[in-house]
Amino acid sequence: MQLIFNIIAISFLILLISLSINIKYSCVKFFDLSHAVIITTATYLAYLFISKLSVFYLVSFALAIIGAMLIGMLCELLLYRPMRQRNLPPLAYLIASIGLYIVLQNIISLYFGDDTKVINTAEITVGHQIFGAYITTVQIITICVSVILFIGVNLFLHFTATGKSIRAVSSNPELCNIYGISSNKIILIAFALGSALAAIAGILSAMDTNMTPTFGFNLLLYGVVAMIIGGVGSIRGLLAGSFLVATAQHMAAFYLDTKWMDAVTYIILILFLIWKPLGFSGKRLKKVEV
Amino acid sequence: MEYVLHLFILICFYTMLSQSLNLSAGFAGLISLTHAGFYGIGAYTTAIFSTYYGFSFWPSIPLAMLISGFIAFIVSLIALRTVDDYFIICTLGIQVILFSIMNNWMELTRGPLGIPGIPSIQLFGFSIENKIPFLIFSLFFVVIIWFVLRNITRSGFGKTLTAISEDEIYSQSIGKNVYLSKTVSFTLSAMLAAIPGTFYAHYISYIDPTSFTVNESIFVLSIVIIGGLGNLSGSFFASAFLVLLPEALRFVGMPDNIAANMRQIIYGVILVMVIMTGKHGVTELLLPVRGRFRKQEQPECSE
Repeated sequence: MQLIFNIIAISFLILLISLSINIKYSCVKFFDLSHAVIITTATYLAYLFISKLSVFYLVSFALAIIGAMLIGMLCELLLYRPMRQRNLPPLAYLIASIGLYIVLQNIISLYFGDDTKVINTAEITVGHQIFGAYITTVQIITICVSVILFIGVNLFLHFTATGKSIRAVSSNPELCNIYGISSNKIILIAFALGSALAAIAGILSAMDTNMTPTFGFNLLLYGVVAMIIGGVGSIRGLLAGSFLVATAQHMAAFYLDTKWMDAVTYIILILFLIWKPLGFSGKRLKKVEV
Repeated sequence: MEYVLHLFILICFYTMLSQSLNLSAGFAGLISLTHAGFYGIGAYTTAIFSTYYGFSFWPSIPLAMLISGFIAFIVSLIALRTVDDYFIICTLGIQVILFSIMNNWMELTRGPLGIPGIPSIQLFGFSIENKIPFLIFSLFFVVIIWFVLRNITRSGFGKTLTAISEDEIYSQSIGKNVYLSKTVSFTLSAMLAAIPGTFYAHYISYIDPTSFTVNESIFVLSIVIIGGLGNLSGSFFASAFLVLLPEALRFVGMPDNIAANMRQIIYGVILVMVIMTGKHGVTELLLPVRGRFRKQEQPECSE
């Protein structure tokens, strides 16, 4: 029972991250690894506001999310947009995002140090007991926030003009430009939205466990794996993907050892790439066809 | 003086590593993040066979190359089904799996404790313990690998690889076996990466998994990209530059704990700049004349 609760809590966290990276990916069509640093930056900003400047929690979380949005938008404006104008090959973006990740991660390491930090919102309690299993307040908050955001983002993408434009750009940016939707502007909005979601996921994760300057990278890779498993571009696939990743991780931790969690995640990814390279949704991608 | 020699030896290791990665990343266009894993397989093979079974240096090189090549072959069967971004993510995953095997398989690799007491290299009855003979010896291997790679890349096979990285479908249509060429280049580059692994194990005489992480893979890849994809001498200059850079920072008077991060920041910035301008390496970024030089040269070689 405890295992099931843990799986549910983690899978909603992964869902949030894969949702955030999915919004970016659908518009720009590459895996933005610098997303990892946005997760980290948001948590460290929250940490800075709470423990150094002693700002009220919710206010500091809001400030951290705004900060993460600004950084995401700056990355797009200063790096990816000039690259798009130069018409570079698709691989260049991913490598550039790795470079950006290295730079920003080390700036965080320089400023905050490499040691583990904790955002403690309240004194540690045993947690609530439901059906014989313990669940902490943070886990409940994670599940609620993630469900609300997942539904909210879905509604946003389907029923608002901006959301529809994001979906339009993700299916064909050139046609959008012809119809008068500025694809650059929409990509900027997508980056801001994705970064905000990533920031929320990062803060929730840091509240549940703790944080180091590199913890975002692992989280991001879980999200990316969930997204590939679920089938890129499919929102419902994300749900299935993140549940599968979380289940596999916790089964591995339960039956083998916690140290094999990462390896199991990637073995699942590789199994999927061998037998079902298109993910659950089966949507065809140009990149896999070649 | 000892320290300067140590740096030169490190430059040799990174030159071998980055040049071998250049074969698959630069020529065949397979940007792989598994290279530190193969480097580690070389190091661990040597360490295990020389400490547990008393193998000497000479048989352990081909052995390390074989094991690394075999694993690379299996990896390529999986990874080459994907292209572009997916290939990078897939190789990243394989790197994490290899690292967690090194870190967690306690019976074989002793996990985070590492394997101590690897004997030094025996050569014609002398043991190479000093830095100067070791440097000469590894330089010798650098030259061999450089020569081999230069010949491979200038041969018909190398031209096929370049053609594949430029236009895969077209080279398939003129009868080149794309899949086989990619597999061969990936396997070959992993086999060559095992050689610096062997050297590293004998040189440091103690190995643990932290030397073979994802960050190390990214570092080697950055050397290749900064030096220029498909540019072997560029890889050499880039590894020299990136190894000597932290020393230069220390020389300026930056404290050690900041210098480590500063080094990464600087190489990240250079990486982003090189990629952003779409040039082939920093040599072309700084000296546009050189780039034009190379382009004139190419028709002669292509026969």
